[in-house]
Amino acid sequence: MWTPFSYLVVNLARQIRPDEIAFSGVNSTLPMLACLLAKRAYDFRFIYINVAGGVEPVPKKIPHSSSDPAIVEGSPAIFANEDFYDLCARGRLDLVFLGCAQVDAEGRTNVSVIGSWHNPKVRLPGGGGAAVMLPTAKRVVTWRTEHSPRTLVDKLDFVTAAGNMAAVVTPIALFQRDAGKNGRFVLESWNPQVTLNEVAQRTGFKFDASGATPTPAMTRREHQALLDLDPEGEFAAEVRA
Amino acid sequence: MTLIAGLRAASYGVPFQPVGGVHGSDLARINGWQTVTDPYGSGQEVYVIPAIRPDVAIIHVNEIDEEGNARVYGSPFWDHPLTRAAKRVLVTAERRVPTDTLRKQPELTLVPGFMVEAVAIVPRGAWPGSMHPLYEIDYAAVEAYMKDEPGVLEAHLAAAPEARRTVNSQF
Repeated sequence: MWTPFSYLVVNLARQIRPDEIAFSGVNSTLPMLACLLAKRAYDFRFIYINVAGGVEPVPKKIPHSSSDPAIVEGSPAIFANEDFYDLCARGRLDLVFLGCAQVDAEGRTNVSVIGSWHNPKVRLPGGGGAAVMLPTAKRVVTWRTEHSPRTLVDKLDFVTAAGNMAAVVTPIALFQRDAGKNGRFVLESWNPQVTLNEVAQRTGFKFDASGATPTPAMTRREHQALLDLDPEGEFAAEVRA
Repeated sequence: MTLIAGLRAASYGVPFQPVGGVHGSDLARINGWQTVTDPYGSGQEVYVIPAIRPDVAIIHVNEIDEEGNARVYGSPFWDHPLTRAAKRVLVTAERRVPTDTLRKQPELTLVPGFMVEAVAIVPRGAWPGSMHPLYEIDYAAVEAYMKDEPGVLEAHLAAAPEARRTVNSQF
Protein backbone atom coordinates (compact mmCIF):
# COMPACT_ATOMS: atom_id res chain seq x y z
CA MET A 1 0.00 0.00 0.00
CA TRP A 2 1.58 3.26 -1.16
CA THR A 3 1.20 6.58 0.62
CA PRO A 4 1.88 9.77 -1.38
CA PHE A 5 5.10 10.07 0.66
CA SER A 6 6.34 6.52 0.16
CA TYR A 7 5.49 6.56 -3.56
CA LEU A 8 7.47 9.76 -4.06
CA VAL A 9 10.55 8.80 -2.03
CA VAL A 10 10.84 5.22 -3.31
CA ASN A 11 10.29 6.13 -6.94
CA LEU A 12 12.82 8.96 -6.68
CA ALA A 13 15.29 6.48 -5.16
CA ARG A 14 14.65 4.04 -8.01
CA GLN A 15 15.99 6.64 -10.50
CA ILE A 16 19.51 6.30 -9.04
CA ARG A 17 21.76 3.95 -11.01
CA PRO A 18 24.91 2.08 -9.98
CA ASP A 19 28.14 4.11 -9.88
CA GLU A 20 26.39 7.43 -10.42
CA ILE A 21 27.23 10.68 -8.68
CA ALA A 22 23.86 11.92 -7.43
CA PHE A 23 23.06 15.36 -6.01
CA SER A 24 20.21 16.83 -3.97
CA GLY A 25 19.74 20.59 -3.53
CA VAL A 26 17.83 23.11 -1.42
CA ASN A 27 14.17 22.59 -0.57
CA SER A 28 14.62 18.96 -1.62
CA THR A 29 13.72 16.92 1.43
CA LEU A 30 12.15 14.11 -0.61
CA PRO A 31 15.19 13.56 -2.88
CA MET A 32 17.48 13.81 0.17
CA LEU A 33 15.46 11.00 1.76
CA ALA A 34 15.49 9.11 -1.56
CA CYS A 35 19.30 9.18 -1.69
CA LEU A 36 19.56 8.07 1.94
CA LEU A 37 16.97 5.34 1.25
CA ALA A 38 18.92 4.09 -1.78
CA LYS A 39 22.04 3.79 0.41
CA ARG A 40 20.11 1.50 2.75
CA ALA A 41 17.90 -0.45 0.34
CA TYR A 42 20.11 -1.08 -2.68
CA ASP A 43 23.38 -3.00 -2.86
CA PHE A 44 25.03 -1.02 -5.61
CA ARG A 45 27.54 1.78 -5.05
CA PHE A 46 26.80 5.39 -5.87
CA ILE A 47 28.09 8.71 -4.58
CA TYR A 48 25.67 11.02 -2.80
CA ILE A 49 26.57 14.70 -2.51
CA ASN A 50 24.30 17.53 -1.34
CA VAL A 51 23.90 21.28 -1.32
CA ALA A 52 25.15 21.65 2.25
CA GLY A 53 28.53 20.34 1.09
CA GLY A 54 28.08 16.74 2.26
CA VAL A 55 29.86 13.94 0.42
CA GLU A 56 28.65 10.46 1.36
CA PRO A 57 27.21 11.80 4.65
CA VAL A 58 26.20 9.51 7.50
CA PRO A 59 23.85 11.77 9.47
CA LYS A 60 22.82 10.56 12.91
CA LYS A 61 19.57 12.47 12.67
CA ILE A 62 17.85 13.32 9.39
CA PRO A 63 17.19 17.07 9.17
CA HIS A 64 13.91 18.44 7.83
CA SER A 65 15.73 20.93 5.66
CA SER A 66 17.83 19.43 2.86
CA SER A 67 20.33 22.28 3.22
CA ASP A 68 20.79 21.85 6.99
CA PRO A 69 24.48 21.43 7.94
CA ALA A 70 23.36 18.25 9.73
CA ILE A 71 23.28 16.57 6.32
CA VAL A 72 27.06 17.01 6.12
CA GLU A 73 27.60 14.90 9.26
CA GLY A 74 29.89 11.94 8.78
CA SER A 75 31.21 13.22 5.44
CA PRO A 76 34.88 12.45 4.80
CA ALA A 77 35.03 15.59 2.63
CA ILE A 78 33.23 18.89 2.19
CA PHE A 79 32.32 19.91 -1.33
CA ALA A 80 31.19 23.54 -1.20
CA ASN A 81 28.65 25.26 -3.44
CA GLU A 82 31.00 26.40 -6.15
CA ASP A 83 32.51 22.89 -6.25
CA PHE A 84 29.31 20.99 -7.03
CA TYR A 85 28.09 23.62 -9.49
CA ASP A 86 31.39 23.36 -11.33
CA LEU A 87 31.24 19.57 -11.20
CA CYS A 88 27.84 19.75 -12.88
CA ALA A 89 28.91 22.37 -15.45
CA ARG A 90 31.86 20.24 -16.54
CA GLY A 91 29.57 17.29 -17.08
CA ARG A 92 30.40 15.07 -14.12
CA LEU A 93 27.12 15.07 -12.19
CA ASP A 94 25.23 12.02 -13.38
CA LEU A 95 21.94 12.62 -11.60
CA VAL A 96 20.62 15.89 -10.19
CA PHE A 97 17.31 16.22 -8.35
CA LEU A 98 15.87 19.65 -9.20
CA GLY A 99 12.56 20.92 -7.89
CA CYS A 100 9.96 22.88 -9.82
CA ALA A 101 6.62 24.63 -9.49
CA GLN A 102 5.58 23.65 -13.01
CA VAL A 103 6.98 21.14 -15.47
CA ASP A 104 5.91 20.70 -19.10
CA ALA A 105 5.87 17.71 -21.44
CA GLU A 106 9.42 18.49 -22.64
CA GLY A 107 10.72 18.48 -19.07
CA ARG A 108 11.30 22.22 -18.93
CA THR A 109 10.70 23.77 -15.52
CA ASN A 110 9.36 26.95 -13.99
CA VAL A 111 10.61 27.93 -10.56
CA SER A 112 10.38 31.69 -11.17
CA VAL A 113 6.88 33.09 -11.48
CA ILE A 114 3.18 32.26 -11.87
CA GLY A 115 1.59 34.80 -14.18
CA SER A 116 3.83 37.17 -16.10
CA TRP A 117 7.32 38.16 -14.99
CA HIS A 118 6.46 41.84 -14.77
CA ASN A 119 2.98 41.37 -13.29
CA PRO A 120 3.21 38.15 -11.26
CA LYS A 121 0.37 36.35 -9.55
CA VAL A 122 2.95 34.51 -7.44
CA ARG A 123 6.66 35.27 -7.31
CA LEU A 124 8.47 31.96 -6.78
CA PRO A 125 11.85 31.42 -5.06
CA GLY A 126 13.89 31.15 -8.28
CA GLY A 127 15.97 28.49 -9.90
CA GLY A 128 18.86 28.16 -7.47
CA GLY A 129 21.18 27.02 -10.22
CA ALA A 130 18.56 25.17 -12.28
CA ALA A 131 19.32 27.13 -15.47
CA VAL A 132 22.88 25.83 -15.32
CA MET A 133 22.25 22.37 -13.88
CA LEU A 134 19.32 21.21 -16.04
CA PRO A 135 21.24 21.58 -19.31
CA THR A 136 24.62 20.38 -17.97
CA ALA A 137 23.76 17.44 -15.67
CA LYS A 138 23.65 14.11 -17.45
CA ARG A 139 20.16 13.41 -16.11
CA VAL A 140 17.78 15.48 -14.01
CA VAL A 141 14.81 14.15 -12.06
CA THR A 142 12.06 16.37 -10.69
CA TRP A 143 9.00 15.74 -8.50
CA ARG A 144 5.74 17.32 -7.45
CA THR A 145 3.69 16.45 -4.38
CA GLU A 146 0.65 17.81 -6.24
CA HIS A 147 -0.29 16.05 -9.47
CA SER A 148 -2.61 18.42 -11.30
CA PRO A 149 -2.95 20.37 -14.57
CA ARG A 150 -1.50 23.41 -12.77
CA THR A 151 1.75 21.60 -11.88
CA LEU A 152 2.14 19.27 -14.88
CA VAL A 153 1.28 21.87 -17.46
CA ASP A 154 0.73 22.15 -21.19
CA LYS A 155 2.45 25.55 -21.21
CA LEU A 156 4.81 27.01 -18.60
CA ASP A 157 4.25 30.55 -17.36
CA PHE A 158 8.03 31.03 -17.54
CA VAL A 159 10.93 28.79 -18.61
CA THR A 160 13.44 28.86 -15.75
CA ALA A 161 15.43 25.94 -17.13
CA ALA A 162 15.49 23.52 -20.04
CA GLY A 163 17.71 20.57 -20.82
CA ASN A 164 18.35 17.05 -19.66
CA MET A 165 15.17 16.25 -17.73
CA ALA A 166 14.82 12.48 -17.46
CA ALA A 167 11.87 11.87 -15.12
CA VAL A 168 9.14 13.39 -12.98
CA VAL A 169 7.65 11.62 -9.97
CA THR A 170 4.31 12.52 -8.35
CA PRO A 171 2.24 10.64 -5.76
CA ILE A 172 0.43 8.81 -8.57
CA ALA A 173 2.79 8.47 -11.52
CA LEU A 174 6.30 8.22 -12.90
CA PHE A 175 6.98 9.80 -16.29
CA GLN A 176 10.25 9.34 -18.13
CA ARG A 177 11.71 11.26 -21.00
CA ASP A 178 14.25 10.33 -23.63
CA ALA A 179 15.77 13.45 -25.16
CA GLY A 180 16.93 11.30 -28.08
CA LYS A 181 13.37 10.39 -29.12
CA ASN A 182 10.76 13.13 -29.45
CA GLY A 183 11.78 14.63 -26.12
CA ARG A 184 8.35 14.34 -24.49
CA PHE A 185 7.51 12.62 -21.23
CA VAL A 186 5.97 9.18 -21.60
CA LEU A 187 4.17 7.44 -18.76
CA GLU A 188 6.53 4.79 -17.39
CA SER A 189 4.32 3.53 -14.57
CA TRP A 190 1.45 4.59 -12.36
CA ASN A 191 0.33 4.07 -8.79
CA PRO A 192 -2.11 1.12 -8.99
CA GLN A 193 -4.25 2.79 -6.32
CA VAL A 194 -5.53 5.15 -9.04
CA THR A 195 -6.71 4.45 -12.59
CA LEU A 196 -4.79 5.28 -15.73
CA ASN A 197 -7.71 7.53 -16.62
CA GLU A 198 -7.24 9.54 -13.42
CA VAL A 199 -3.56 10.08 -14.25
CA ALA A 200 -4.57 11.44 -17.68
CA GLN A 201 -7.30 13.64 -16.16
CA ARG A 202 -4.91 15.16 -13.67
CA THR A 203 -2.09 15.82 -16.17
CA GLY A 204 -2.01 19.09 -18.12
CA PHE A 205 -0.09 17.71 -21.09
CA LYS A 206 -0.83 14.83 -23.46
CA PHE A 207 1.39 11.78 -23.10
CA ASP A 208 1.99 8.33 -24.50
CA ALA A 209 0.94 5.61 -22.04
CA SER A 210 1.26 2.64 -24.39
CA GLY A 211 4.26 1.19 -22.56
CA ALA A 212 3.11 1.99 -19.03
CA THR A 213 2.71 -0.62 -16.34
CA PRO A 214 1.51 -0.41 -12.72
CA THR A 215 4.40 0.61 -10.45
CA PRO A 216 5.99 -2.45 -8.80
CA ALA A 217 5.24 -2.63 -5.09
CA MET A 218 7.72 -1.50 -2.45
CA THR A 219 10.30 -4.14 -1.65
CA ARG A 220 10.80 -5.24 1.94
CA ARG A 221 14.14 -3.42 2.03
CA GLU A 222 12.71 -0.19 0.63
CA HIS A 223 9.95 -0.35 3.22
CA GLN A 224 12.39 -1.00 6.05
CA ALA A 225 14.70 1.83 4.93
CA LEU A 226 11.77 4.23 4.87
CA LEU A 227 10.83 3.19 8.41
CA ASP A 228 14.42 3.71 9.55
CA LEU A 229 14.55 7.20 8.01
CA ASP A 230 11.16 8.33 9.26
CA PRO A 231 10.30 6.24 12.32
CA GLU A 232 7.81 8.75 13.70
CA GLY A 233 6.17 9.52 10.36
CA GLU A 234 7.13 13.19 10.63
CA PHE A 235 8.34 13.49 7.05
CA ALA A 236 5.35 11.54 5.75
CA ALA A 237 2.99 13.98 7.51
CA GLU A 238 4.51 16.83 5.47
CA VAL A 239 3.20 15.35 2.20
CA ARG A 240 -0.56 15.74 1.92
CA ALA A 241 -2.60 13.37 -0.18
CA MET B 1 25.16 29.26 -10.17
CA THR B 2 24.82 32.38 -12.31
CA LEU B 3 25.00 34.29 -9.00
CA ILE B 4 28.28 32.54 -8.17
CA ALA B 5 29.48 33.37 -11.68
CA GLY B 6 28.72 37.07 -11.07
CA LEU B 7 30.53 36.95 -7.72
CA ARG B 8 33.46 35.19 -9.35
CA ALA B 9 33.76 37.92 -11.98
CA ALA B 10 34.01 40.44 -9.13
CA SER B 11 36.54 38.25 -7.28
CA TYR B 12 38.66 37.87 -10.39
CA GLY B 13 38.48 41.60 -11.10
CA VAL B 14 36.94 41.13 -14.56
CA PRO B 15 33.65 42.51 -15.92
CA PHE B 16 31.96 39.18 -16.65
CA GLN B 17 32.28 35.45 -16.14
CA PRO B 18 31.51 32.67 -18.65
CA VAL B 19 29.15 30.02 -17.26
CA GLY B 20 27.96 26.59 -18.42
CA GLY B 21 24.32 25.96 -19.33
CA VAL B 22 21.60 28.67 -19.29
CA HIS B 23 20.63 27.82 -22.90
CA GLY B 24 16.85 27.59 -23.23
CA SER B 25 16.13 29.61 -20.07
CA ASP B 26 13.94 32.74 -20.09
CA LEU B 27 16.22 34.10 -17.36
CA ALA B 28 18.73 35.10 -20.06
CA ARG B 29 16.13 37.32 -21.75
CA ILE B 30 14.82 38.83 -18.50
CA ASN B 31 18.31 39.60 -17.22
CA GLY B 32 19.75 40.64 -20.58
CA TRP B 33 22.53 38.01 -20.39
CA GLN B 34 24.67 37.86 -23.51
CA THR B 35 26.65 35.08 -25.12
CA VAL B 36 30.13 35.06 -26.57
CA THR B 37 31.51 32.61 -29.10
CA ASP B 38 34.71 30.89 -28.01
CA PRO B 39 37.44 33.19 -29.38
CA TYR B 40 39.78 30.17 -29.55
CA GLY B 41 37.76 28.49 -32.26
CA SER B 42 35.75 25.66 -30.68
CA GLY B 43 32.56 27.31 -31.94
CA GLN B 44 30.93 26.96 -28.52
CA GLU B 45 28.55 29.73 -27.59
CA VAL B 46 28.82 30.52 -23.89
CA TYR B 47 26.72 32.76 -21.66
CA VAL B 48 28.62 35.50 -19.80
CA ILE B 49 27.27 36.85 -16.51
CA PRO B 50 28.07 40.43 -15.49
CA ALA B 51 30.11 40.95 -12.31
CA ILE B 52 28.19 41.20 -9.05
CA ARG B 53 30.12 43.22 -6.53
CA PRO B 54 28.24 43.49 -3.21
CA ASP B 55 28.92 46.65 -1.23
CA VAL B 56 29.06 44.63 1.98
CA ALA B 57 29.28 40.93 2.82
CA ILE B 58 28.25 39.94 6.34
CA ILE B 59 29.07 36.42 7.48
CA HIS B 60 28.79 34.59 10.77
CA VAL B 61 31.69 32.34 11.79
CA ASN B 62 32.66 30.04 14.64
CA GLU B 63 35.80 31.77 15.85
CA ILE B 64 37.71 34.95 15.27
CA ASP B 65 40.92 36.43 16.66
CA GLU B 66 41.73 40.04 17.44
CA GLU B 67 43.13 40.53 13.92
CA GLY B 68 39.81 39.49 12.36
CA ASN B 69 41.03 36.11 11.11
CA ALA B 70 37.78 34.17 10.82
CA ARG B 71 37.49 30.40 11.21
CA VAL B 72 34.58 28.27 10.04
CA TYR B 73 34.01 24.68 11.09
CA GLY B 74 32.10 22.51 8.67
CA SER B 75 30.58 23.59 5.40
CA PRO B 76 31.29 27.17 4.28
CA PHE B 77 28.25 27.31 1.95
CA TRP B 78 28.61 30.67 0.06
CA ASP B 79 31.11 32.35 2.38
CA HIS B 80 34.16 31.98 0.15
CA PRO B 81 32.88 33.54 -3.10
CA LEU B 82 30.86 36.11 -1.16
CA THR B 83 33.75 37.45 0.90
CA ARG B 84 36.06 37.61 -2.13
CA ALA B 85 33.53 39.50 -4.25
CA ALA B 86 32.36 42.13 -1.75
CA LYS B 87 33.92 45.56 -1.33
CA ARG B 88 33.69 45.33 2.46
CA VAL B 89 33.52 42.31 4.78
CA LEU B 90 31.89 42.36 8.22
CA VAL B 91 32.07 39.31 10.46
CA THR B 92 30.09 38.18 13.48
CA ALA B 93 31.52 35.27 15.48
CA GLU B 94 30.45 32.83 18.14
CA ARG B 95 33.60 33.47 20.15
CA ARG B 96 37.00 35.02 20.22
CA VAL B 97 40.14 32.86 20.26
CA PRO B 98 43.87 33.67 20.48
CA THR B 99 45.72 34.04 17.19
CA ASP B 100 47.98 31.16 18.23
CA THR B 101 44.97 28.85 18.07
CA LEU B 102 44.44 29.78 14.41
CA ARG B 103 48.15 29.38 13.61
CA LYS B 104 47.94 25.71 14.51
CA GLN B 105 45.43 25.01 11.73
CA PRO B 106 45.49 27.93 9.29
CA GLU B 107 43.54 25.92 6.69
CA LEU B 108 40.42 26.37 8.82
CA THR B 109 40.61 30.15 8.47
CA LEU B 110 38.11 31.15 5.80
CA VAL B 111 38.78 34.89 5.77
CA PRO B 112 42.17 36.39 6.68
CA GLY B 113 41.98 39.36 8.99
CA PHE B 114 43.33 41.90 6.51
CA MET B 115 40.10 41.51 4.49
CA VAL B 116 37.84 42.09 7.49
CA GLU B 117 36.70 45.62 8.31
CA ALA B 118 34.79 45.03 11.55
CA VAL B 119 33.79 42.19 13.81
CA ALA B 120 31.37 41.55 16.65
CA ILE B 121 31.18 38.63 19.06
CA VAL B 122 27.59 37.40 18.91
CA PRO B 123 27.05 34.04 20.58
CA ARG B 124 24.17 32.17 18.91
CA GLY B 125 24.23 34.88 16.27
CA ALA B 126 23.05 32.54 13.50
CA TRP B 127 19.72 32.00 15.28
CA PRO B 128 17.15 30.94 14.12
CA GLY B 129 19.55 29.35 11.64
CA SER B 130 22.09 26.73 12.63
CA MET B 131 25.78 26.94 13.49
CA HIS B 132 27.67 23.72 13.03
CA PRO B 133 28.59 22.04 15.36
CA LEU B 134 27.19 24.24 18.14
CA TYR B 135 23.46 24.37 17.51
CA GLU B 136 20.79 23.30 15.06
CA ILE B 137 18.09 25.22 13.19
CA ASP B 138 15.33 26.42 15.52
CA TYR B 139 12.48 25.19 13.33
CA ALA B 140 9.81 26.34 15.80
CA ALA B 141 11.16 29.91 15.69
CA VAL B 142 11.26 29.84 11.88
CA GLU B 143 7.68 28.62 11.70
CA ALA B 144 6.48 31.26 14.18
CA TYR B 145 8.25 33.95 12.14
CA MET B 146 6.54 32.83 8.92
CA LYS B 147 3.05 33.66 10.25
CA ASP B 148 1.62 36.73 8.52
CA GLU B 149 0.17 38.40 11.61
CA PRO B 150 0.68 41.64 13.54
CA GLY B 151 3.37 41.46 16.21
CA VAL B 152 5.21 38.49 14.70
CA LEU B 153 8.29 40.47 13.69
CA GLU B 154 8.49 42.20 17.10
CA ALA B 155 8.15 38.88 18.93
CA HIS B 156 10.83 37.35 16.72
CA LEU B 157 13.29 40.18 17.34
CA ALA B 158 12.61 40.09 21.08
CA ALA B 159 13.33 36.35 21.18
CA ALA B 160 16.72 36.69 19.44
CA PRO B 161 19.68 35.64 21.60
CA GLU B 162 21.42 38.99 21.15
CA ALA B 163 18.28 40.81 22.37
CA ARG B 164 18.17 38.77 25.54
CA ARG B 165 21.74 39.50 26.54
CA THR B 166 23.99 42.49 26.94
CA VAL B 167 26.70 42.15 24.33
CA ASN B 168 30.14 43.52 25.10
CA SER B 169 32.12 44.33 22.03
CA GLN B 170 35.63 43.06 22.55
CA PHE B 171 37.15 45.12 19.78
